[in-house]
Amino acid sequence: MWDSFLEGAQLCLRLDTFGMVSLGLILGILVGALPGFTTVMAMAILLPISFFLHPLVGIPFLIGVYKGGIFGGSISAILVSIPGTGAAVATTFDGPALTKKGQGRKALEIALYSSVFGDFSSDILTLFFIGPIAIIALKVGPPELAAIVLLSLIIISTTSSGSAVKGLIMCFIGLLFSMVGQDPLGYMSRFTFGIFAVKAGIPLLPMLIGVFAIPEILGAIEREVPSFISEKVDLSKAGEKLRYEEFRRCFRTILRSTGIGAALGACPGVGQVVAAFVGYASAKKASKHPETFGKGELEGVAAAEAANNAVNGPTLVPLLTLGIPGDNVTAILLGAFIAQGLRPGPRLLTEHGPTVFALLVAMLLANILFLILGYVAVPIFARIVTIRKSILLPVITIFAFAGSYVFRSDPFDLKVLVFFGALGYAARKLQFDVSPMVMAFILGPILEYSFGQTVNLAGGNLLHYIFIDRPFATGIFMLIPVVSVLFALRAVRKRRKARSQNSPMKGGEG
Amino acid sequence: MSRKTIFRFLLVGLILVFVISGTAVAAKYPKKPITMIIPFGAGGSHDLNARVFTSIIPQYLGQAVVVKLMPGAGGQTGTAAAVRAKPDGYTLIFTHNYVDQLQPLIEELPYDTMKALVTVWRLNYAPPIVFVRVDRPWKTLEEMLDYGRKNPGKLQFAHSGKWGATFTPGAMMLSKAGVNAQFIPYKGGGPAVAAILAGDADFHLGFPSVVLPHAKAGKVRLLAVAGDKRLKEIPDIRSFKELGFEGGNMDRIIMAPRKMKEDNIKILRDAFRKLYDDKTFKNLMGKIGENMLYMDGPDYEKLRARQKEQYRELVKKITGK
Repeated sequence: MWDSFLEGAQLCLRLDTFGMVSLGLILGILVGALPGFTTVMAMAILLPISFFLHPLVGIPFLIGVYKGGIFGGSISAILVSIPGTGAAVATTFDGPALTKKGQGRKALEIALYSSVFGDFSSDILTLFFIGPIAIIALKVGPPELAAIVLLSLIIISTTSSGSAVKGLIMCFIGLLFSMVGQDPLGYMSRFTFGIFAVKAGIPLLPMLIGVFAIPEILGAIEREVPSFISEKVDLSKAGEKLRYEEFRRCFRTILRSTGIGAALGACPGVGQVVAAFVGYASAKKASKHPETFGKGELEGVAAAEAANNAVNGPTLVPLLTLGIPGDNVTAILLGAFIAQGLRPGPRLLTEHGPTVFALLVAMLLANILFLILGYVAVPIFARIVTIRKSILLPVITIFAFAGSYVFRSDPFDLKVLVFFGALGYAARKLQFDVSPMVMAFILGPILEYSFGQTVNLAGGNLLHYIFIDRPFATGIFMLIPVVSVLFALRAVRKRRKARSQNSPMKGGEG
Repeated sequence: MSRKTIFRFLLVGLILVFVISGTAVAAKYPKKPITMIIPFGAGGSHDLNARVFTSIIPQYLGQAVVVKLMPGAGGQTGTAAAVRAKPDGYTLIFTHNYVDQLQPLIEELPYDTMKALVTVWRLNYAPPIVFVRVDRPWKTLEEMLDYGRKNPGKLQFAHSGKWGATFTPGAMMLSKAGVNAQFIPYKGGGPAVAAILAGDADFHLGFPSVVLPHAKAGKVRLLAVAGDKRLKEIPDIRSFKELGFEGGNMDRIIMAPRKMKEDNIKILRDAFRKLYDDKTFKNLMGKIGENMLYMDGPDYEKLRARQKEQYRELVKKITGK
């Protein structure tokens, strides 16, 4: 294996590989930054180009588009509160708040560094532990997935800010929205009220843009105060760079999120969105000052970005070892592999060992190029917010609508955007946090689906099936009460500490 | 960047748009790019096939073919859009037989594909293969079905979505054999294949490009090939027809509105016919592992009507409607 690794490493040291990866990264960043254009769309369109290139040029090119696209999605999330993909939702918790404080560039830089770190470490893990990850990937079936998602939901929900009751209400609303359309198991329509357009369910992207971007725009207009950044361009401040100490402060968070992302990435079906949420929630939980999260905390951006990028390496493993793509992105990569005569599957490593290792090394190189290109791109993007508000706000509005439409070219999605924009605005006025709703909307269907499959697999004897036949799932289910008790104890201890600190002065308030 | 330079960029962009669209004025159909709706998501086999043929067919059509992915509701969102589009020949749909012929039988839809759409071309087809993990005791399809008959509700069938391309042939086989199996839904073919490899479920019907590598690696045992013919890669595995079962192929078909001008449909069909002599096309289709067993529109229309009746019987049997 070491031989093929060395051989592979030599294979990909080519100038054209570097060139095409850079081109892919630039295209990816641009497309990802445009709302409504997803990374998957960009990759599908650019796929035929890779057919005509050498495997070690064409496939790294697509990987470049992929990596660039994810970072591009966080650019619009941080600067104008439009998450380009579900994976960038957790970035909108702190990104836009930082931009408002005039720290947009810092936020972008920490996003870049965390993304690259998460990506790089997960790629190295993948490179060395491809075998074990493949085994884990096969062990994670529906019952295990259900257990992981349930555990994630508990971790996420116990860290949401503000009133617990309000959070729960929003969570239930989100679950209800997620049930609109055909049920995932039997394809029966529910809650559609005979409207054909919602039969496929409520589309995620217009909803995300609606609840996150529209209230931001309306709020800025309403208050007539410089919401995005001061009216008169204060370039020196908007362009303020990230300091080394700030990066140091975030480093523990980045490490934690990378671990979480890589672990969740090894479990097929979990995905970047869950990883970003869990990474964010854990960072908040571990922080000594959780109250700053959601109000412009660099660590918040770092947590989400490191986690969602760390998913990337391990998700490639089922593709390489089984020929089974875990998501749309890896499905497109599968197409690129096959067109090059490399059929991913059980014999790929033995038949094309050097090429596969060359590709993995090319991924590592792509990360380094990503760091360099991102470093160049960040100041350019950071200046977007210095455009005068009277121009910027209408432009963002246009992008919000265009982005919702272009996603699948259905005019109905514009209605969805307006509906969720109004809902998000109302929620903000009533001081409801929309993020539990979005989390429930995204995670609910995964849980429902995997639980439904589990019930089917169990064939009528659910407890026996989970606790006797699936020891892996049992283990994760056992973690749920342990984690809950730990969190509860921690919360009690924190409250007690706060009380003992406050009591001499304020007399036991808390 | 000053505002002046931004405006300059916009101006150049506008001019470019006009120049490009200006060259597109031609005498007859197609006068402008054709939109090809795919009612499925990015990265699926339809997407892959479409990327190949849309990158070559402009040479024979004189116009670009633009892929538009409209996934949702198991293909219904995109199909509805194709049916609603103006029948001017500039909106086509690239779909498959289960969305086209089976889905309208299951539930009430705001369209009737048989009335609204007509076949331009069948690009190719994919025959799913019945397979099990090697540690399962059944050496042949009959043995497996016998086990299923003797143990009602025990045999686990992993499928890739209700009434889809792997569900329907499997359900037709089980219903004809009189087996009461447990149906386990998975999100697409990939996870279903993984479920078989992990031993979570008993059998699945997977497409050759995915299943054959695992058979070669000795991880799965192949029991039968859906459809009428054996596959040349696996000449020992019997076909559904030999075993007394029917149908089972997934036809990848390009459909146009029935109201479209007959002459224009012919222009499209001629372009597709020329495509099959194109070397690059042959090469790329071979590379993505797809066959080139096309069928002309009128021929497929006959098959389409036959399959519709088959599905009608199946649905009656399963749902009791």
